[in-house]
Amino acid sequence: MKIFLAIGILLLCSGCSSMGVEPWERDILAKDEMQLTTDALEAATDDHIYFSKEASSGGRGFGGGGCGCN
Amino acid sequence: MAEDLAAVAAVAIEDTEMSRRSERSISTALAAATCSLLGTGVPTAVDAQEEPTWDFNTSLLYYGEDADRVQELSLKAIISRMFADDRVLTFGLTIDGLTGASPSGAIPLDGPQTITNASGNSVYTVPAGQLPLDDEFRDTRVAITTNWQQPFGDSSQVNLGFSGSKEYDYLHLGLSASVSRDFNKRNTTVSAGFAIASDENDPVGGTPVGLTSVLDIGDLSNRAGKRDKDVLDFILGVSQVISRNLVVQANYSFSNESGYLNNPYKILSVVDGTTGDTIGRVPAPAGGPSHEFVFENRPDGRTKHSVYTQAKYYMDGKVLDASYRYMTDDWEIDSHTVDLRYRWPVGNANYLEPHFRYYTQSEAEFYRLSITDGAPLPMYASSDYRLGNFDAITAGIKYGWKTRNDNDMSVRLELYQQSGSVPGGQIIGNQAGRDNYPDLNAVILQFSYRFKK
Repeated sequence: MKIFLAIGILLLCSGCSSMGVEPWERDILAKDEMQLTTDALEAATDDHIYFSKEASSGGRGFGGGGCGCN
Repeated sequence: MAEDLAAVAAVAIEDTEMSRRSERSISTALAAATCSLLGTGVPTAVDAQEEPTWDFNTSLLYYGEDADRVQELSLKAIISRMFADDRVLTFGLTIDGLTGASPSGAIPLDGPQTITNASGNSVYTVPAGQLPLDDEFRDTRVAITTNWQQPFGDSSQVNLGFSGSKEYDYLHLGLSASVSRDFNKRNTTVSAGFAIASDENDPVGGTPVGLTSVLDIGDLSNRAGKRDKDVLDFILGVSQVISRNLVVQANYSFSNESGYLNNPYKILSVVDGTTGDTIGRVPAPAGGPSHEFVFENRPDGRTKHSVYTQAKYYMDGKVLDASYRYMTDDWEIDSHTVDLRYRWPVGNANYLEPHFRYYTQSEAEFYRLSITDGAPLPMYASSDYRLGNFDAITAGIKYGWKTRNDNDMSVRLELYQQSGSVPGGQIIGNQAGRDNYPDLNAVILQFSYRFKK
């Protein structure tokens, strides 16, 4: 499983080397609303709510938790 | 020497231009480069030129479930202090207040039933036809997090974190570390991290021994002391800029929990194998449960794997944020989560953001509605609705605006609905006509205020 994953990431990275933008083309990507996590507080809130109500957690970051709610 | 200095300075300048978060001036970069070449520290005078920046992110959350179930008020703050050279110290604080009732795990009956509460010091009576809810659910939780972010070399970054939380009956302590590195003109970022946590369950009355009977008031003979749970998480991720307006991310996470994974407050009804009704205690005791119930029991280990993918796409001012997560574990729970947000600018600085989330999971292999009297006891059993087979939908909208001082405010209102079902093979006799898995409906209302200084 982990070997496949490592190979997958390597393939992805080698494919990625031809993608992307030049440093002066980052005007849009630099906007707050284009960050992968736009609102850290809302993300933390949602992770906590869904950790308490569902059997899955994490994905975006660590599994969360740290409460006796599950 | 002069050439070396120029080369280092050039790298430092380029580094400054390319960094999204950097606020260093070219003169500072030159000074830093000179100092690093000369092997001396950056003088304080240079530090003084760079105003430390504070970022305060605060919110008030109301979460409320229908039918007198859980109500929560939560205050949250994430405060970051940015230092020179992209070093950031972040501190988070959460204070939760919870009240309301939570399903005990017992099934509804055609007549009333009396159940000893989780702490073993009183009983509550459930009217005929209603799902048994334990209304002793009342808690305050305080959680803190800290994180130190430190650049490492030209294109790497290290994060070290601590988390801790305390409830009346629960303690959590955790540490995390992660490292990320940029490649391809910072278009590709690869990251890896791990987290460890040690949690302690200390329920009132002690932790019940799994699959033993719910006893009379004051009888704590089947309760043990505090029980621990350890959690180990790994995450590997890559994010990639595809074009000027598209960035994508993929993460793989591994999580292993071991120790006491039961919910000490959840029980199951012990039922007749033909009628499906809970076995009554004859004669009914004055200070104890009217029927037969046992405490739930889960395996003492759980391993989860998940894959998370996300894309952010900018379309003429509007931003689509789409993500998908697949999770599978050795309790045989599989889940799929799709999350969509669409940020729609209104005027110059305001926006509307509709949000839609769909979640579905299959039940744990040991999920069961009830325990059959006379049949051999299973090794593990839980009727916790969160381990069952259900779908959930979240739909809502957020409105964000700038205040007169150029700070950010937002309010979001969302509705969350869970609807589940008990696997057909588990329904016995009279259970068929009852609502064993009522829908859960909740409102999420959150105000956020963010300011920088």
